[in-house]
Amino acid sequence: MQKRLFGILASVAIIVAACGGATASSAPPASTEPGASAPAETSAPPASASNLAADQTLNVTAQGEPPTLDPNKAQDSNSITILRGLTRGLVYFDKDLKVVPGLATSWDISADAKTLTFHLRDAKYSNGDPIVAGDFIYSIKRLIDPRTAAPYSYVTAEIDGAPDLLAMAGADPAPSDATIQAALDKLGVSAPDDKTVVIKLNTPASYFLTALTLWVFVPIQEKWITSPNATEAGNYVSSGPFVLDSWQHNTELTLKPNPNWWGDVKPTLTTLNFFLRSDLTADQAAFEAGELDMVQTPSPDIQRVMADPVLGPEVQQIPNFSITYYTYNNFQDSKLKSFKTPGPTANKDFRIALTQSIDKQAFIDATFAGVGAVANSFVMPGIPGYQPDLDPYPFDLASAKDHMTKALAALGKSSAADLGKLKFGFNTGAGHEPRVAFLAEAWRQAFGLETEQIGSDFSVFLTQRTAGQYDLARDGWGADYPHANNQLNGLFTCHGGNNDSQYCNPDFDALIKQAAAEPDQDKQVALYNQAQTILMNDAAILPLRYAVTTYEVAPYVSGITSTGSDSVSPGELFWETIQILNH
Amino acid sequence: MITYVVRRILWIIPVLFTVSIITFMLMHSVPGGPWDRDKRLPEGVQARLNAQYGLDQPLYAQYINWAGGFVQGNLGPSYRYQDRTVNNIVADGIATTFQLGVMAFILAVLVGIPLGILAALGHNRWPDYLSTSISIVGISTPSFVLAILLIVLFGVELRWFPTSGWKSPPYWVLPTIALAGFPIAQIARYTRASMLEVTRKDYIRTAQSKGLRDRAVVVRHMVRNALIPVVTILGPILAFLVTGSFIIETIFAIPGVGRYYITAIGTRDYSLLMAMTMLYAFAVAFMNVVVDVLYAYIDPRIRYS
Repeated sequence: MQKRLFGILASVAIIVAACGGATASSAPPASTEPGASAPAETSAPPASASNLAADQTLNVTAQGEPPTLDPNKAQDSNSITILRGLTRGLVYFDKDLKVVPGLATSWDISADAKTLTFHLRDAKYSNGDPIVAGDFIYSIKRLIDPRTAAPYSYVTAEIDGAPDLLAMAGADPAPSDATIQAALDKLGVSAPDDKTVVIKLNTPASYFLTALTLWVFVPIQEKWITSPNATEAGNYVSSGPFVLDSWQHNTELTLKPNPNWWGDVKPTLTTLNFFLRSDLTADQAAFEAGELDMVQTPSPDIQRVMADPVLGPEVQQIPNFSITYYTYNNFQDSKLKSFKTPGPTANKDFRIALTQSIDKQAFIDATFAGVGAVANSFVMPGIPGYQPDLDPYPFDLASAKDHMTKALAALGKSSAADLGKLKFGFNTGAGHEPRVAFLAEAWRQAFGLETEQIGSDFSVFLTQRTAGQYDLARDGWGADYPHANNQLNGLFTCHGGNNDSQYCNPDFDALIKQAAAEPDQDKQVALYNQAQTILMNDAAILPLRYAVTTYEVAPYVSGITSTGSDSVSPGELFWETIQILNH
Repeated sequence: MITYVVRRILWIIPVLFTVSIITFMLMHSVPGGPWDRDKRLPEGVQARLNAQYGLDQPLYAQYINWAGGFVQGNLGPSYRYQDRTVNNIVADGIATTFQLGVMAFILAVLVGIPLGILAALGHNRWPDYLSTSISIVGISTPSFVLAILLIVLFGVELRWFPTSGWKSPPYWVLPTIALAGFPIAQIARYTRASMLEVTRKDYIRTAQSKGLRDRAVVVRHMVRNALIPVVTILGPILAFLVTGSFIIETIFAIPGVGRYYITAIGTRDYSLLMAMTMLYAFAVAFMNVVVDVLYAYIDPRIRYS
């Protein structure tokens, strides 16, 4: 007890930090993983009826109040973990994150790879209405419609006619309703009959099928979503294995099995409760008190939990598709943003020196309790395009010092201390402090380089990072869907929407463009590999760690199908396969 | 008296107006906006959202819009919880927050005042040391430490109470104690100091020399007079408690409104932040009026006309 008490107290400081950072949850790794089983196979041994508990109630956490349960508008992991139980789209994942049939039983891809035709199964919503092709068309149009202002509208960019609509979102003056409607009418989606959905693309995009597994593409009934309080309990129309039974805002949300669920695996759970609290430490206490059946272990508790004779065996560590990295400000080009003068990080030798002076395993051991895998490039393991051997600048202090000498000569300085303090930005209250300190100290020891560590509130930090006001900044990325396009395009292309490193290399951009238009999967991966190799050779960023999430799961919870797309609970893509054993 | 009360209550209006202007300006002078995400929203989408919520208008126009809605009881949309209005969010949680605050207040008064009296009566003897130690621990222990300690001890180890939630009376116990910890200490210290002050007054000596029983001296003369300054701080304490606590509500997963006061700042949820500030400002201003009125009853020398 004393040990546990101490462990929990040790994390108190983190809670306070986390309280401040509670707003920071970014789009979760939308899964693109291959996790959902085609409705028939589960990874866990099927429990026989005799060892099932009488009470099939599972208590989990959503780690916060879901900002919305409107599938087209959702973007936070708190919402998505619940939406995975409430909705299903045309296609879904199997447990290996391969794309498998969902509401579409089959699909045809035209020879030019630009027309996808889906054939729907007979299925009903929770309200008894049939799920028809028109509901998919309505949902996609609503997602793109600038009037919806959906955060994930950009995933539709490959649909024929979508770029015009996406451009209208920020147009000044705002386009009239008639203009928008005309563009929507021309959009390349149609329902020739109730059982067929046709999607025309403006470019061959093999990754689009994977993108269709996203929660934003699920069928939506117009009469439902336009009704008042549509997303509240009692009104919610579900296309997934569960229905929304109750939602006490900020406290608890309960799902029950959907009597009209069309999938082959029917939920065994009779009640799925989500706690809506955003405090991992309190969740951990609730797990230890038996009130939660699974929980994400807070970082400060990981070592204590692993060493605990009871909790230790309940730990599951699951890699997920996200990366911890730090950006160098690559700014070279006066056309970019507001950053006027290139800093030392614009010098490639300087970036190489900083990269080579970091022992990434030591970083992970010291600041992530040793949980996670060393990252040397950006596309994550498990995603086609991952390059395990790409590591142009491994940890090597001697080489780092050589590069620093070259960089200083080019910058006209005699020592790194003469550069003054580099601006090193991060957001406070989210546990980044020790990591920033680790890196700053490593650079100080290696080169005598001083940094000014600027911790800001999340919004302030984002604003300044976007504007290029830091030399170095904390960063991270979670895959929306498991495809190299989602990891490179827009993040490192010139002027890309998420290009925090101000990186701009026309060779890289050309390869990304070429890859997007390449229908052959293998050739496409080769092109993405070439592009990523350029990026890493330029030392544009400092990749550090591929994420692994530590969960604890009570021993009586069976049938969990965990995937790299899990971000709040293990197996959240397949709530319907989970069972409670006798205990 | 009635005129006085009415005038004081009317004075709350300009106070709220001033608070709203200052908050509004401070809030908008901080960089960032409600659509900031680690994964950036496309600029077009941000522009569209700004237009939809009127955030593209000049500040004065935004303020007038907000104030116009506020006067009519419309607190505006929530930017973070887009399917819900601020009215909705406040209406959902205010009763819970109020209930928790009042329970903590009652506990703080019932424990704090006797603790302070006890300390003063046993001045420089063990009751004083005991009470002072409790107060010092209470003052210096942050509520989140107390909350986690209570959860670990009574929720995880002893399993007497649930660790979180707000379903039935057993769920109320730990949050109420955690929230009352600080005010108990505050009230006890105030009461003790005030009692010690009163003990030295002439009228106490007079009462004692008249041969009044100790009990009568303490209850009728000392406590009654010592409580006047204590009442002054009870007002703000109650205002503070009934508008909720971010830490306590978050840690115990209580469906109140207190947590929004902090989260709304981080998410730049402007209308929610305005609503919470107004709520708190009103509670403080109103409790000050109540305290002033109470003086008249406790202290016969005070009369309003």
